[in-house]
Amino acid sequence: MKERKLPSVWAIVSMNGFLPLRRQPLFLINTLTSPFSFLFLLFIVGGAAAIPYGVAGGLVLTILSIGTSLQGDMTHYKTDLKFQEMVVASPVKAGTYVTGMALSEFVFSIPGMTVFVVLSFVYGHYIFLGGLVVAAALVLLWIFATALGFTLATYLADVRETFMIAPILSIALTVVPPVYYPVDRIWAPLRPLAYLSPTTWAANLVQGALGLSPTPLTLAQGLLDGAVLLLFAIVLFLIAWKKAQWRER
Amino acid sequence: MEALKATGLSKRYVWSGGSNQALKEVTLSVPTGSILGLIGRNGAGKTTFLRIASTSLLPTDGSMQILGHDVVDDSVAVRERIAVIPQESRPFYWMNPRELIYYFLTMRGHTKADARTRADEALAELGLTEYAGTLVSRLSGGLRRRAMVAMVMASDAEMVFLDEPTTGLDPLARRSVWEAIRKAAKANRTIFLTTHYLDEADALSNRIAILEKGKLLAEGPREAITAKVKHPYRVVVSDGFSRSELERYGEPIWLENRWLLLTGEREAREISKMALERGAKLSLAPVSLEDIFMQIVGKDISVDEAEADEGA
Repeated sequence: MKERKLPSVWAIVSMNGFLPLRRQPLFLINTLTSPFSFLFLLFIVGGAAAIPYGVAGGLVLTILSIGTSLQGDMTHYKTDLKFQEMVVASPVKAGTYVTGMALSEFVFSIPGMTVFVVLSFVYGHYIFLGGLVVAAALVLLWIFATALGFTLATYLADVRETFMIAPILSIALTVVPPVYYPVDRIWAPLRPLAYLSPTTWAANLVQGALGLSPTPLTLAQGLLDGAVLLLFAIVLFLIAWKKAQWRER
Repeated sequence: MEALKATGLSKRYVWSGGSNQALKEVTLSVPTGSILGLIGRNGAGKTTFLRIASTSLLPTDGSMQILGHDVVDDSVAVRERIAVIPQESRPFYWMNPRELIYYFLTMRGHTKADARTRADEALAELGLTEYAGTLVSRLSGGLRRRAMVAMVMASDAEMVFLDEPTTGLDPLARRSVWEAIRKAAKANRTIFLTTHYLDEADALSNRIAILEKGKLLAEGPREAITAKVKHPYRVVVSDGFSRSELERYGEPIWLENRWLLLTGEREAREISKMALERGAKLSLAPVSLEDIFMQIVGKDISVDEAEADEGA
């Protein structure tokens, strides 16, 4: 039996995305909890003026959570269920498996994305083609999150380690970097450090597209942000490709 | 044709500060259509061998071909023709057996219609039809394992690997899984089974291979292995014999109220004759697989690798 990529991807998305979501609707609420907690806190502390930043941050966090969920699921399937070993001993190739897993995690983020996209139209002031800019930023961030999840899963030996990694990632990539606030709030000498995080570049694009930046988002700035974000994703994918162990040595 | 051919296969696990030679120059052939039971104590190297065969692990040395394709250089061709149930694997709890089989098959490349037909056939064959729509989380351990057997057996895989398929199951559940494997062992499909349950290997396999500390000690049909051992007969006498008398025929073991003796054909005849003359109770049978294992390996299969080393 030869591999049939699209049906294989669809089967993995169904197994890991649609079916658990249908059987356990609490997953719908679960994906909304973190971004809404931040939104709520921002509203309490900063009032209505802070809501647009909460919405922009919510979009970034919802997509980034795909990566943290992916590393958890892939580690669980590899070490506990031994599902990955069954996939290895089948016509399904590594790329097909990772694509299927990444898309299935995207399924879980659909409710959160829907809510935050709606809120972005309510509270944001989209610039011309801003919707496309946000979509492009989130697609690039999704690729980065997938590469991150895949890379981490190759190094983790037990699912309990994934519980520890998820909050660390959340703090390192969404709380500390200027995802929920403008980058100019960071003391200028420290500002370059913020750009070590790919989410800073993604948030730049989203905040710019929603008209939140102090200076309007230019085409050059937008292209630079996108290119750096893509570079982050490519580098991580190359690391994952080199280090990942589809077959153990 | 040989479904599996391993030549001088070795595997050494290396980690910082140590290493372990899990397989030592194993040479083994498995004919197409047979059910091979690879037996050995915990830590003997069974899972390592199976994981190399199912392309999950690279060997350190030697070669292995599955259905004519090299597991290292031609793994894509191997993977298109095999399926595996790894040791301690579990099905997704949020799916039912029909969904498990259907999605597993569509993931492997079967068309939707074919997957549906095969799923229904496998469910019927393995006695799972009445549980087809029941969520895995509500099934017993035996039924879950049967559902996993159904997943791989429903596929078109020409060779199926089962790693300790009944570990942790109660005796009834084990027998139901055996029945499932027997039913699913279709003509010309090769089944490679690892187990440390000797009754399981005896019940399911038509060929046996014995692995000990990474070395293959014996391989072949059950009868051929029995013929190779020094003592092919098991004699149990209840009374009328002394230890010293029996020691002339082998090493007698006292089992509460009777003597157990593994011995040769001529010796068995002599003891039988003596028992008849004395009116002593006697039973005579070919050795069990457990007896064969003890004779070949020199240790009971229930003794773990580490325990055996400590005792040595």
